Amino acid sequence: MTTVEVKNLRKSYDDFLALDGVSLTAETGQLVTLLGPSGCGKSTTLRCLAGFHEPNGGDILVDGESILNVPSNRRKFGVVFQNYALFPHMTVAENIGYGLRLQKRSKGEIETRVFDVMKLVRLTGLEDRLPREISGGQQQRVALARALVLKPRLLLLDEPLANLDARLRDEVRWLIRDLQQQSGITAFYVTHDQSEAMAMSDMVAVMKAGRVAQFATPREIYQKPSERYVADFTGEANFLTAQRVQPVAEGRYSVHVAGADIEVEGVPGLLKNAAAELLLRPESLTLVTTGDTATFEGEVIKCAFLGASLHCEIALPEGGRLKLTAPPNHEVGAGDRVGIAIDLSHAWLMPEVAP
Amino acid sequence: MIRSKKLTWALALPALALIFVFMILPITNMVEMSFRTPGSSEPFGEDYTWMHYTRILGDGYYWGVLRRSLYTAGIVTLLCLVVSYPIAWHLSRAKGFKAVFLYACIASPLMTGVLVRNFGWMIVAALNGPLNESLIALGIIERPLRLLFTQSLVILALVHVFVPFMVLPINNALRNIPQSLTEASASMGASRYQVFRDIILPLSFPGIQPGVILVYVLAVAAYVTPALLGGQMVSYMPTLIIGELTGTFQWPFGSALAIVLSFSTVLVVVLFTRLTWKLNERARA
Ligand SMILES: Nc1ncnc2c1ncn2[C@@H]1O[C@H](COP(=O)(O)OP(=O)(O)OP(=O)(O)O)[C@@H](O)[C@H]1O
Ligand SMILES: [Mg+2]
Repeated sequence: MTTVEVKNLRKSYDDFLALDGVSLTAETGQLVTLLGPSGCGKSTTLRCLAGFHEPNGGDILVDGESILNVPSNRRKFGVVFQNYALFPHMTVAENIGYGLRLQKRSKGEIETRVFDVMKLVRLTGLEDRLPREISGGQQQRVALARALVLKPRLLLLDEPLANLDARLRDEVRWLIRDLQQQSGITAFYVTHDQSEAMAMSDMVAVMKAGRVAQFATPREIYQKPSERYVADFTGEANFLTAQRVQPVAEGRYSVHVAGADIEVEGVPGLLKNAAAELLLRPESLTLVTTGDTATFEGEVIKCAFLGASLHCEIALPEGGRLKLTAPPNHEVGAGDRVGIAIDLSHAWLMPEVAP
Repeated sequence: MIRSKKLTWALALPALALIFVFMILPITNMVEMSFRTPGSSEPFGEDYTWMHYTRILGDGYYWGVLRRSLYTAGIVTLLCLVVSYPIAWHLSRAKGFKAVFLYACIASPLMTGVLVRNFGWMIVAALNGPLNESLIALGIIERPLRLLFTQSLVILALVHVFVPFMVLPINNALRNIPQSLTEASASMGASRYQVFRDIILPLSFPGIQPGVILVYVLAVAAYVTPALLGGQMVSYMPTLIIGELTGTFQWPFGSALAIVLSFSTVLVVVLFTRLTWKLNERARA
């Protein structure tokens, strides 16, 4: 049972401000992902949580109590590093049992617990190998086992899959998620892979230059981003400049976009005539015959046949481009004029940059 | 990588030539000399004999000197290790200008010639020298100590000059330990002492081993420092050997002493390496 509350965390290296007020929460058993491009402060946040860095400001509460004065060796957090950080002079079993040995557990207990966790991460048989004698994926699982065997209050994972190839990544990703859910451990997970973040997390914090741009569920992050940056980072996205923004109800606006007047949902609190963008995910757009239900009309610029689908890029006469995915049987090619229907319930109005 | 055998040999040739000229040849020469009969008017005679070896090995005096040499070198190495480890630790954490400055400080004993350095020690350690004076001023001793021409001073001076040979390889090994390892062990509950004992110390062993070997070999072979600071009372193998070679001109006997010393040193080094082999293999990753 662990809840974590990160409050307005600030951290600077010399005179570079790496964290500029990061706030996050994690409920018991949740996996919270820190998502963002390189250098946005994900690792720094995690290292503050682990106690490797002392923040310059803010607070970290675990189960309601500040842990800032607790040194990292007393926090009882499990940490999995990007480069695994296995002890090269210890065998796999010694690596995994190290924390238990520090706790002065009996030999028998260490042996059974190490054996059990190795079975859990499917490493049985590799007990006596040195880390350099096993593969990258196996090393990754040793690192995971080493953290899990201590039954940590909180699991911190810094890009644990970054050094694995695509197939292994998939496998270990689900292993991590399964183990985390089975044991009900609260976890923070750093990644810059948006699909990984979407698939695994209960909550996602999209970070931007030392701040949290949005902290929400994966669905919300994807469908209702707080600003263009978040939408861009979480998947394929089309943006159209919205004019004549007019609030009609809480979180609903009528706007003029690319020659059409439509009513859409959006970030609450936008003012009349505010500068805003309309987000249209490719899957909320459909190619239609010109005329009937079309909201927009445009000219096909590029069309790529991918077998299962057709990827098209369409230029609108008022300026702006839309990328969309069409069923493969549509016979369209570059230069054709086409109509586009929008699933308005999945369009989203948001500011270019959140205030 | 697979290279052609010929190329490998060609690339090794300069090194092999160097080893041949500066190592194989002189050693062969020494070994040969050590089996010569003593000469009456020349430094060595015509015939060959075992007599020098039987004389050395049969005489407790030479065993004693050999033991003292090997033992003293061991003490020097141990003290050197104890002094050097913390220095290497600080050096491995230093960055930028501080690192450069520290490197210079550590190399400083090597920046003065061996004679100047030892005369310096003579002045420092004299009865009314600065060392005695400051010890008296600090109230640690009442009357000046006789420091000069003692074994302790020889050991102190040798430790002083050999520290860089110990610091540099250990520093190198410490720098190669990723910070994430110490962080990982801390996150698993290790105190600072446990991190040091379980992670840092074993992983710095690939630096300790060469440092120990280097300093030991240098200490066994040290001549000038024991000769100048040790006085006439205690002899070490090198002083004895030089005495035979340049004092009494007994080249064959001197060579035999030198061979015995070299052989014993190599034996100690091999033993040490064998004993620490496993530790080093594991830490070598
Ligand atoms: N020890 C340090 N000294 C100075 N600056 C640092 C240090 N560590 C990180 N930084 C800077 O702080 C910022 C945040 O770093 P951080 O490691 O948290 O990024 P990240 O989000 O984890 O990126 P990545 O995805 O590349 O790992 C970066 O701009 C980085 O250059
Ligand atoms: Mg990082």
